[in-house]
Amino acid sequence: MEGLLFWFCGSLLLLGGVMMVVQRSAVVSALWLVFAFLSAAGIFAVLGGTFLAVMQVLVYAGAIMVLFLFVIMMLQGPVMDGERRLMHPALWPLIAAPPAAVLIMLAGFLRGDRMVGFAGAPAPGFGSVVQVATLLLGRYLLAFELISIILLVALIGALAVGRGERKLPWK
Amino acid sequence: MTIVYEALAKIGFMFALIMGMVVVLIWMERKGAAYIQDRTGPNRAAILGVRLAGLVHPVADVFKLLFKEDVTPTNRHRALYNLAPWLVMTVALSTYAVIPFGDFLTVAGRRIPLVVADLDVGMLYILAVASLGTYGVVLAGWAANNKFTFLGGLRATAQMISYEINMGLALLGLMLVFGSLRVTDITAGQGALLWGFIPMWGVVVQPLGFLLFITTVYAETNRNPFDLPEGESEIVAGYHLEYSSMKFALFFMAEYAHMVIGAALISTLYFGGYQVPWLPRPALESHAGLLLTGTLIFTLVMSLLIAFAFLRRASRERGKFQDARDREPGLGAGLWLIIGLAAAAGLTRQPWAVGSAGAEVFASLAQVGVFLFKLVFFAWLFIWVRWTLPRFRYDQLMNLGWKVMLPLGVANLLVTALVMAVV
Repeated sequence: MEGLLFWFCGSLLLLGGVMMVVQRSAVVSALWLVFAFLSAAGIFAVLGGTFLAVMQVLVYAGAIMVLFLFVIMMLQGPVMDGERRLMHPALWPLIAAPPAAVLIMLAGFLRGDRMVGFAGAPAPGFGSVVQVATLLLGRYLLAFELISIILLVALIGALAVGRGERKLPWK
Repeated sequence: MTIVYEALAKIGFMFALIMGMVVVLIWMERKGAAYIQDRTGPNRAAILGVRLAGLVHPVADVFKLLFKEDVTPTNRHRALYNLAPWLVMTVALSTYAVIPFGDFLTVAGRRIPLVVADLDVGMLYILAVASLGTYGVVLAGWAANNKFTFLGGLRATAQMISYEINMGLALLGLMLVFGSLRVTDITAGQGALLWGFIPMWGVVVQPLGFLLFITTVYAETNRNPFDLPEGESEIVAGYHLEYSSMKFALFFMAEYAHMVIGAALISTLYFGGYQVPWLPRPALESHAGLLLTGTLIFTLVMSLLIAFAFLRRASRERGKFQDARDREPGLGAGLWLIIGLAAAAGLTRQPWAVGSAGAEVFASLAQVGVFLFKLVFFAWLFIWVRWTLPRFRYDQLMNLGWKVMLPLGVANLLVTALVMAVV
C-alpha cells in the first residue's frame, strides 16, 4: 500500500514538474509548481514525515507560491493572443525523457529490494515535531539563527533596491 | 476493511453535517439580517402553501441555481475559470478532517474516535489548508478576465496573507498551553478544571489569543467586516462577479462552509469542543440515567409549551389568509406534539435505569450534541457580526492586521511562554 502511494505521488510530482516547464502561461506554470509541491508533501506523508508534509504545504504551497502568483498575475492577463508557445509540443518528450529514465532505473533498482526505503525504515518518532524542534533549536541553533539574519539582510536589501537610494528611510 | 468503513461513515457524517448546516445557515442569515434590520425576512416560497418560516427558500435557491443559464465571459482562461469554484469548495471542506465532533463511540466492542483523521500535526494542518484557500479566490478573480474580479482576487490574497500570520501566532499560544499540536489533545485538555471550578477552556487560559483568533477567522471567511474581496459598493461582487448558476452556487456554499469551519474551530479550540462543562466523560456515563431523564422531561415540557403556543395562534388567526397558509400553525403544533410524544414514550421506558451500554451511547451523543450546540451558536455569531459592523477600509484592514494584531500576537505568545516557564 505504501509502495503504491509512493509511486503514485512520485509520478504526480514528475508530471507537475514537467507540466510546469512546458506551460506557456506563467500563471498556469506556477500552479503546476504548486501541484508538484503538494505531491512532494504526499511523498513525505507516505514516508511518515507528517510534520514535513504539512510544512511543505504551509510554507511552499500556502505562502511562497501565493506571493509568486500575486506578482505574476499583476504582470499578465489570463488570455494572451499571438504569444508563441515556449516549446513545440513535439519536443515535450525530450523534457519528459530524463526524469522518466531515472524513474525506470529506480524501479529496476528497487525491484529486487523493497518497494520503498533506501536505508531501512526510519526510527519511530523520526521527523516528528519534537525531533525537528530539538535539532533546530538545540544542535543547529546557531545555523538557524544565522539563516534568520540572512533573511533579514535580504529583506533590507530588497527594500533598498526596490525604493531607490534616495527614498530610503534612513537617508 | 472495518477501518475504511468507519472512515467513510465519519466522512459521510461530516459532509452531511456541513451541507445541512449550509442550508440552515442561509436561512439563519436571511432571518437574522431581517430581525436585526427590523423586518420580517423571507416568507414567500412555499410547498403546498406551507412556508415553514422561510425554510423553503434555500430549496427554491437550489432549483433556481441548478436551472439557471451558465453565462461565462468569452475571454476567460477556460481551465482555471472552471477549476476555481471547485478548488474553493474542496479547500473549504477539507479542514473538517481534523476537527473532533465527539470523544468516542463504542460500537460492537470497538472504540471509534469521533474524528476523521487524528493527525499529530493537526493544528498545522488547519493552518496549511487555510493558506491554500487563497488559490480558489485569486484564480477566480484572475481567470474571469475582468478588472473588478481581479481587484477582488488581489484584495483577497493580500488580506489572507496578512491575517494567516496572526492566526498562526494566536494558535501558537494555545499550543504552548496544552503542549500539543494534536487537535484531540487540545480538546481533551479543555475538559480539566482550573482551580477546581472553572472549565479550562481555551478562552479562559488564552483570552487575548481568542480575540486575535476569532478576528482572523472572520477575515479568512471574507465576510463583513472583512468582505473587501467582495465589496459590493466598490467592486460590484469581487472575485465571483463573472460566475453564474451552479459555479456561483459553489462560491456561495463555500462561504457558508467556511463559516461552519470557523464556528467549529472556535468552539473546538477555545470553547472545549465536545466537552460538556463540569461533566467529564466518566461523570456523564455514571449519571446517564439522571441526565437522560432530565433531558426527556425538559424536551417534553418545552415541546408541549411550544405546541400550546402554536395552537393558540391557530385559534387566534383562524381564517386569516383563507388559503393553505391557515394550516401552518396547526402543522407547527402537530410537529412539536410528535416530538413531545416521542419524549413521553422515552420516559415510559424507565430512562433512569439505563444500562451501561446505553449510558455510553448517551454520553457520546450528549457530547456530539454539545459540540453541535456550540457550532450553531458561533455560526450565529458570524451572522450577528456581519449585520452589526460596517466594512473596514483597506488601509484600516492592513493597519489592524500588521500594526495592532501582529504585535499583540507576539506579546501574547511571549507572556504565555513566560508564564508557562514560571508555573
